[in-house]
Amino acid sequence: MTKQLYHTVLALILSGVIVLIGNWIGYEVIPRDALMGMLILILITAAGFTLKMILPWKTIPGILYVAGISIILSLPITPGSAQVIEWASAINIQAFTTPLLAYAAIGIGNSLADFTKLGWRSIVIGSVVFLGTFLGSAVIAEIVLRIQGVI
Amino acid sequence: MLKQIPGYLKDWRLHGVVLLIVLVAETIGALSFEVGAGMILILPMIYAFILGIAFVFTPVIKEKQFKHSETLTTALIGLLVAKVSLNIGPAISMIVQVGPAILLQEIGNLGTVLLGLPLAILLGVKREAIGMTFSIAREGSLAIINDKFGFDSPETRGVFSIYLFGSIFGAVFFGLMATLLATFTPLNPLSLAMASGVGSASMMAASSSSLSAVYPEMAAEIQSLASASMILSVATGFFVSIFIALPLAEKMYYLITRRKPAKEEIEVAAEKKETGS
Repeated sequence: MTKQLYHTVLALILSGVIVLIGNWIGYEVIPRDALMGMLILILITAAGFTLKMILPWKTIPGILYVAGISIILSLPITPGSAQVIEWASAINIQAFTTPLLAYAAIGIGNSLADFTKLGWRSIVIGSVVFLGTFLGSAVIAEIVLRIQGVI
Repeated sequence: MLKQIPGYLKDWRLHGVVLLIVLVAETIGALSFEVGAGMILILPMIYAFILGIAFVFTPVIKEKQFKHSETLTTALIGLLVAKVSLNIGPAISMIVQVGPAILLQEIGNLGTVLLGLPLAILLGVKREAIGMTFSIAREGSLAIINDKFGFDSPETRGVFSIYLFGSIFGAVFFGLMATLLATFTPLNPLSLAMASGVGSASMMAASSSSLSAVYPEMAAEIQSLASASMILSVATGFFVSIFIALPLAEKMYYLITRRKPAKEEIEVAAEKKETGS
């Protein structure tokens, strides 16, 4: 397990370096200024993935633990939360999504053979399925928020 | 010491290519152009995706790199979730205030069935349509369908095809869709932020970062709501799928196609003989 954790941390550090470089080029934050934020994020993620490894409930996705730790750390009653949030705010969210989609696109190579078997119907239906969940949720949220008078 | 580092981390070819893609994409930066009344933003992540696919077809990237990229995707999704969830704490009172909306918009995830199923039937898809439309077909959905209908069933073929579609185009699709809906519909960014929270972290990230780029002054609120909604979707999605979405999809499928049950039996049988689609 320690070996697995060690590998996870190394993968997180490597991803972190790429994110910091993208954050520098695209959003003009020198890596030194975003370093503390990245360290915190790496620690949170490593802790979340570790919980997933050691806790018995295997069906719970690791990202739920990661999210849980982040939420607790960011609550106003948690000492130091303002500092943690300030550090993390030095990293633009797009600095994560750009390398994520680059890796994801390369990973598509795995399923390229299957993809050619995917008919045009699946592409049309897939698009509408995704549009359906998004639009369905957005319309309900809009109605409820208007009834509540929030917007 | 270096021997202990697993191969996927030492795959400098892969990481070098990704770094190159990131440098190119971020150097170009977001492009915006006016379309009608609105403005469409094309974010660096879209170029990164296109460049990544382009590299798949070059000899630089080989099968080894395809496999290695998966681990880094997991790591990046972890960091991303850690980052967006840090927005929840400071926004907790706002989230409680809009709590009813966040909870109720989860019902909107049934939009996959309501919009997708009639279309699938219209396009002539048979029982595959149930697997294709009861959810956004992430890993949990594969397990549910497999468990209920068996590996060699039309429903399983259906869920796999949308799983594949989502794995390839999901994040990009959500990113573009969020931008378009933000620009061309009167929907409030807060509603769109909540809608971004489907049961997939990468789709949520693509969608909420696109919204944040369109409404930079609301970025923290957008990310906190998207993240809260995603957490809720991930936590409840499994049960909603089993107890609501899947029965609804099945009921609706047999309701719509009821007029021709005999014909359908024949078609299903004939279809089994076919190979491929």
